[in-house]
Amino acid sequence: MDDATPKERRTFLTVILGGVGAVVAAVAGWPLFRYLSPIDKGSAEDLVRVARQEVAVGGAHFFSYQGRPAVLLQPSAGEFLALSAVCTHLGCIVKWVDDKQEFLCPCHGGRFSPAGQVLGGPPPTALESYPVSLDGEDILVG
Amino acid sequence: MNPYKETVDWLDRRIGIRALLHQQLTGYLLPRNINIWYTMGAVLMAMFGLQFLTGILLLVYYVPDTEKAFASVTMIMNEVPYGWLIRYLHVVGSNLIIVFLLLHMLSVLYMGSYKRPRELTWVSGFILFNLGLVFCLTGYLLPWSQLSFWATTVATDAAGAIPIVGDFLIEFLRGGPSVGEATLGRFFALHVMGLPMAFLALVGFHLFCVRRIGISAPPFGEEYQPKLTYGFGHEEHPNGVPFHPHYTVKDLAVVFFALALLVAITFYAPWLFIPLDALTPADPFTTPEHIKPEWYFLWAYQTLKIFPSEFLGLAAQGAAMGFLAMLPFIDRGPERRPVKRPIFISLYLLGILLFVGLSMWGHYS
Amino acid sequence: MMRLKMMRRVSAVILACLLFLPLWVQAEETVCLQCHAGLEERLSAPVGQWRGSIHAQNGISCHDCHGGDPTDFEMAMSPERGFIGVPEYIEVPEFCGRCHLGVKEDYLASAHGKALELWGPQCVVCHGNHAVEKATIDLINPDSCSRCHEYERAAQVKQIISATEATLVELEASVADLHRVGFDMQRLREDLFSQRNSFRRLFHTVAPERIKKQTAEFDAGLATTREQIEDYEDSVEKRKIAGGAVVVLLLLGGCVALLIKRTFHDEEG
Repeated sequence: MDDATPKERRTFLTVILGGVGAVVAAVAGWPLFRYLSPIDKGSAEDLVRVARQEVAVGGAHFFSYQGRPAVLLQPSAGEFLALSAVCTHLGCIVKWVDDKQEFLCPCHGGRFSPAGQVLGGPPPTALESYPVSLDGEDILVG
Repeated sequence: MNPYKETVDWLDRRIGIRALLHQQLTGYLLPRNINIWYTMGAVLMAMFGLQFLTGILLLVYYVPDTEKAFASVTMIMNEVPYGWLIRYLHVVGSNLIIVFLLLHMLSVLYMGSYKRPRELTWVSGFILFNLGLVFCLTGYLLPWSQLSFWATTVATDAAGAIPIVGDFLIEFLRGGPSVGEATLGRFFALHVMGLPMAFLALVGFHLFCVRRIGISAPPFGEEYQPKLTYGFGHEEHPNGVPFHPHYTVKDLAVVFFALALLVAITFYAPWLFIPLDALTPADPFTTPEHIKPEWYFLWAYQTLKIFPSEFLGLAAQGAAMGFLAMLPFIDRGPERRPVKRPIFISLYLLGILLFVGLSMWGHYS
Repeated sequence: MMRLKMMRRVSAVILACLLFLPLWVQAEETVCLQCHAGLEERLSAPVGQWRGSIHAQNGISCHDCHGGDPTDFEMAMSPERGFIGVPEYIEVPEFCGRCHLGVKEDYLASAHGKALELWGPQCVVCHGNHAVEKATIDLINPDSCSRCHEYERAAQVKQIISATEATLVELEASVADLHRVGFDMQRLREDLFSQRNSFRRLFHTVAPERIKKQTAEFDAGLATTREQIEDYEDSVEKRKIAGGAVVVLLLLGGCVALLIKRTFHDEEG
C-alpha cells in the first residue's frame, strides 16, 4: 500500500467498487426477473374437462385451454374435435358460422374448416388441434 | 477511438454537457468541514427510489378490493417468487425512511441550517416529512388486515375531535360512515398516485432550494461566523471540495450502509414492523385487543390520551407541528452555533425527550 | 424575548402532560361480568378465574356456556333468554360436549364415562371449570389421578401418548413461528388442528391397548406434516444465508467507497 500513490489506489478501489456494484445489481436483478416471470401453475391444468352436453351436434363450444382460447366441435354425434380458436394470421379469435359449418375470422376474413384446415383468406397455416378423449359424460382435452 | 469520449463529445455539442457537469458536479464546491449528517438527503433519495420501485412491483399483483386485498397480499407473500422480499423491502423501507427523515430533520435543527435564507428549504422539507407520514398511513390500510382496518378506523376517528366539522371530516376521510370499500379506494389512489406526484414535485423544489441557495457550512470550528444576509446570494465555498467525486463517494458509502441495514432487517427481523394483527384479514365486527399505532404515531396517540379532551390533544399536536413548520420565521437570529444557542438546544433536547417519552409511554400503556 | 415565549409555551405543554392523568377507556363488557365482579366471593370468583382462561383468550364468554342475555341486566338470567345456569354434576359432559363433541363421545364410551352415574370423573374434575387452561399432557399426573385410583394405568397411557403429544406441541409451535414470519400456514394449521383433536379424542377413551394401536397411525400422519414444515424451515434458512451474503456485499461496497474517499484526503496531505 505504501508504494502506491493515492491515484493508483483510487483506480484499484474504483474497479472493486464497480465489481461490487455489478454483483449487487445482478443479485437484485434475479429476484426482479423471477417476480415478473409468469407463475408456473404446474401440470394440473394440462387436462381440461368439459361436460359433453355443452357441445351440441353441429355446434361449437368455446373454452380456455392452457390460458388460450380454444373450441370444441361435434361434427357428428359422438365425434369430438378440439382446436385452437386463435387465427394463425394475426391472432384474432375465430367465429363459428353455424349455417356454413365453418370458422370465419372477423379480422381479415380468414376461413377454416371444422378440422381446422384453411379454406380461404390470409391465414398461413391450419388451426392447431388438440387430442380429445371421452370420460363418461365429460370430454377431456389435452 | 474512445467510445466514452465520443458519446460525451456528441452530447457536449448538443446540450453543452461538459459545462453542465462542471457547474453541477466537479466545479460545485462544498464546505470542507461538511459532516456525515449531510448525507441524509442522498440516503433518503435512495430509499424513496427503492420504495417507488418495490411499490410499482407490488402493484403488479395487489388488488385494491376489500374482498381480495388480503388474499392478494397473501399470494404475493407465498406464491409469487420473491414476492415476500419485495413486500418486506417496502414495509421495512417505509419504517427506515421515517427514521432517516427524523435524523435529517434533527441534524438540520441542531446546526440551525433552517435559518434565513433557507426558510423555504425547511418548509418544503417539513411538508415532505408529513407526506412521508401520510404515505405510511395510507399504505397501512392497503393489505386490509385487522391492523390496517382498525388503525385506520382509530386514526380517522381522531378527526372527529375537531369542533363543528369533525363528524363531516371523518366521513369525508373515510368516504362513508365507517372504514370500507370507499376508504380503500381513496387511500389506494392517494398512496400510489396522488402522494407520489406531490412528493416528486416537492422533492424537486426542495433540491432546487438546496442547490440555488448553496450548502450551508456547518456551524462549527473557529472560522465560522454567523452571517446576516439581505439580498439573494448563493453561498459560495471557494476553498471547498468538489461535490463530485469527493462528496458523492461519501454519499455512496452511507447509502451502501443504509441499504445494508435495510437488507439485514428485511431478512432477519421483518416482524419488527409487522404486528400479529397484520396477519389476520380485516373483520369490521371484531376489534382486536391492544390496537396500537405504528411507532412513529405513538407520540400522537399518547398525546390524545393524556389530554382531558380529544380536541385539546389534537390542538396540542397541531400547535407542535405548526410551531415546527414555522420555526425559521419564529427563530430569526443569525446565530447557528449550538454552544451559543443554549435555550434552543435545551428545548431541542427536551423535545426529543418528550417525543421518546410519549412514544414509550404510548407503547407500554 | 421570542425564545422566552417559546420556552413558556413548551413548558406549559410539559406541565399539561404531567398534570393530566391518562383517561382509561374501558372495553365494553357483558352485563354478566359487570354484575358478578361486584358480588360476594362465591359469585365473583368465576369472573377473575375466567379472565385468565383459554376460553377468555378465544372469546368464549359466560353466556356461551351458561346461556342468558349478556346485554340486558334485567333479563340476563331469564330462562326465556336461554339461561341454563349451573349444570348438575352428571350433566357436565353434555354441558361441555355441546362444543367439545368428539371428546365427549369418546369419553362417554370410556371407563370414566361409564362410571359417571357412580360419581365417576367428568370434565371439570381434571380440567377445572372457569379457570380452564389450554390442555396439556401434564393434566395426567399422580396427584390428580390418584384422587380416585392407582396412578399405574394413567402412567401407562401418559407414557404411550407422550412422544406423539410432544410432537404435536412442537409442530404447532413451528407452524406459529412460520406464520409469524409471513407464511400462509392456514392449511397446515387446520391439518394439525384436526390431527390434534382426533388424537385427544383417542386418549379420552383411557384404554391403553387401543391408544397404543392408533398412536402409530397418528405418528405416520404427523411425520408427513413435519416434512412439509421442514421444507418451509429450510427455505427460511436459505433466505437468511442469502440475505447475510447481500448484507456483507453492501457493507463491503460501503467500506470501499470510504477508502476511495480517503485517497482524496491523502492526496491533499
